[in-house]
Amino acid sequence: MTYTISAPPHKKTKLDFKTLNFSKIIALLPLCLAAIYFFGIPALGIIVASVVTAVVTEFAIQTIFKQKITIGDGHAAMLGLMLALLIPPEAPIWIPIFAAFFAITIGKHVFGGIGSYIFNPVLVAWIFTRSAWASYMTPASIPHIGQFSDLILEHGAGLMVGVSPILLIGGVYLIYKRYIDWRVPLAFFATMIILPQTLLFVSGVMALVHEGSLNPLMYMSQMFALLSPSPELSYSMIGIVFFGILFLATDTATSPVTKKGRIVYGITCGLLVFIYGYFANYVDGLIYGIFLANCVASFIEMNTMPASFGTMSCAEKAYRRVMDKIPSSLKFEVVNNE
Amino acid sequence: MEIKKLDTLPEKIIIPLRQHRGAVCEPLVKKGDRVLIGQKIGESAEYQSSAVHSSVCGEVIAIEEAAHPDGNKVMSVIIQPEDSNESVAFSACKDVKPDQLAKFIKESGIVEHYGIPTHTVLRPKGKKIDTVLINATSSEWIGGTFKTPGDYASQMLDALKLLMKAAGAKKGAIVLRTDDKESIDAFEGIEVNKKKLKVAPLIGSRNVGYYFNEQNSDIVIVSQERIFGKKILNFFTYRVTGRKVKIGCDPTDVGVAVCGIKSAKALYDAVQTGVPFYDTVVSVEGVSNKMEYILVRIGTPFKDVIDSYGYTGAIGKIIANGVRTGVAQYTDQVPVTKGTTRITIQKPEEVIRDEAIECIHCARCVDVCPVELIPSRLAVMADQGRFDESRQIHVENCIECGDCAAVCPSKIPILQLIRYAKDAIEMAYEDLPEKESSNLKVGCGCGGE
Ligand code: SF4
Ligand code: SF4
Repeated sequence: MTYTISAPPHKKTKLDFKTLNFSKIIALLPLCLAAIYFFGIPALGIIVASVVTAVVTEFAIQTIFKQKITIGDGHAAMLGLMLALLIPPEAPIWIPIFAAFFAITIGKHVFGGIGSYIFNPVLVAWIFTRSAWASYMTPASIPHIGQFSDLILEHGAGLMVGVSPILLIGGVYLIYKRYIDWRVPLAFFATMIILPQTLLFVSGVMALVHEGSLNPLMYMSQMFALLSPSPELSYSMIGIVFFGILFLATDTATSPVTKKGRIVYGITCGLLVFIYGYFANYVDGLIYGIFLANCVASFIEMNTMPASFGTMSCAEKAYRRVMDKIPSSLKFEVVNNE
Repeated sequence: MEIKKLDTLPEKIIIPLRQHRGAVCEPLVKKGDRVLIGQKIGESAEYQSSAVHSSVCGEVIAIEEAAHPDGNKVMSVIIQPEDSNESVAFSACKDVKPDQLAKFIKESGIVEHYGIPTHTVLRPKGKKIDTVLINATSSEWIGGTFKTPGDYASQMLDALKLLMKAAGAKKGAIVLRTDDKESIDAFEGIEVNKKKLKVAPLIGSRNVGYYFNEQNSDIVIVSQERIFGKKILNFFTYRVTGRKVKIGCDPTDVGVAVCGIKSAKALYDAVQTGVPFYDTVVSVEGVSNKMEYILVRIGTPFKDVIDSYGYTGAIGKIIANGVRTGVAQYTDQVPVTKGTTRITIQKPEEVIRDEAIECIHCARCVDVCPVELIPSRLAVMADQGRFDESRQIHVENCIECGDCAAVCPSKIPILQLIRYAKDAIEMAYEDLPEKESSNLKVGCGCGGE
């Protein structure tokens, strides 16, 4: 009998790239259905046009350059779908076609394909289309959330992603299944919440300083501002921001791989999106913010390389320095060897 | 758990003359000789080697190169067994001096499962051992031939004392696995020098040093999570004792000897009864959920072990020592050696044949790596031959656990690439003069913490 010989490990996870992509597509399906329900046939047209173009373009490029055909892994379809959700349903049909073509050619393949592109192709295509045909790409309305019910169904939504933040729950399930990493979304989300609240607090304090108030209790009371939701918060908690947090920022090729780096990247995204969104609107703010964060992702990665195991971090070193001065009779801490 | 004994005699027994890293033994027998159970058939005068014994009674039919589970061919003694239990006279070795005990360990052919003869671990040339650890994290308590968990606990402690005696070490610890309830229960409340011990978990900076003080005892039992890996020793030492082993050194450089359960058990048996290391328990798994422990004589071909497991279908792959880091075998006529712990069989359709695609930067490999490396980056650098850069991001720290390659959705052979880089680095630096520090001190310049 002949036996196979190969290098270890001899058992690997069943999970592959294809599963990852298709699970993202499935997680987005409820949202697509809601969008089609609200916007009708044009929405369906845009989704189909975008997905089909993306897949065909990928097939064409790989055939022309004699590469291995990888449309089966669902990556192109996923990009097409995400892109479609970011296009206003009133747009003429050639907009999604062009955008999807642009995303796959320039966004993905010019940079070297899967894993090599440095900007999320969806964002690249969106920004290009938006700059070129601003009038077609402007949604009819800018969504913002007034009541809680809008979290479930957003009636004023301009883009397809905006129709229902709640339907993006599939993304949370993907995090639970560890199909997408939790660090980036968590850091991103936390930053998006903390920043407006801090701003509220700071502006409250500034107002008091301006009035010349000297009562410390007045300043203390501003602490409560941290707990009451600021108006900015409800502006930012819209479908597209959740979409960005769960699906765009977590795109693996454009986020750092180091553990610390992913946290820093999430915070960077949150910061940039907040700055853009605060001074303009959160729809554009999200896309430009994440796009800019893509630019620095590699820088973040290079600067958060882990040290050799067991190397002390800065904080630990400082702690050691202090603890080593204290006589051992006063210490409760762990005694090392002997 | 129950241990089956492999009773049927195989057609031939293949005993490799090198079952450890180090010098190959000289055969002490020649073709046509009749050997007895326990008879020494191979020995070397080198310090870095360990004696080899016959596990059956029979006739030597050849001394030739034969397959070895590590994938190479090794000079082996091939014996045709006969149905007889004739053995040489064994004599126990109690109450001896440490020096003699070390010699006795070499004579009994006791080697560590990672391939180093036990006596050289305990008494490395030019280094002093002060702590002996028994690593029980990777094998079940039944890994030896213990009857009950209680047996296991008390014998392990005795073995630890023997190891400490042979090494001249003052301190010793047994490291269990946190999720191995049965063993923890067995050790909980065991008495050492009339003091009850508790099984203490290793958390954060609470390493064995802390527990030596806290429990005010020279012997402690601790527990930690499971780690796999081929080059696990340095990391293990760091986790357990807090002593960092420099790259290129081994735990003995910081005064720590790491032993396995198997060798500890073998030592215990050898001291109690005088029986040398000639049989071992291997676990057989695969094809079904059944896992079996079988006591086999060293030198039994894998084929006979698999037959006794009861599987007769087509076999796609035979793996020695576990699916994570084990070696796939090209023949089933490869013998069980002292280092064999597990035989895994896979059906032809279970054999993986994935094609690697590009890395998608999903960072799964980073999340699982126990020693905080960036495997995806290491793989890329190894692939492109940028070995210096991979050294800068600590490629040598890799304990070769294979977790990264196992979780990669792109199916990149990360572990293989990392090994390639490690080998290349080792070869490139092999003929460099020793580092400066070694001019000042004899041996390795690590000298401690
Ligand atoms: S790089 Fe891979 S094989 Fe090496 S220690 Fe990390 S996970 Fe294990
Ligand atoms: S697990 Fe594989 S695909 Fe993911 S980052 Fe590591 S090497 Fe790349």
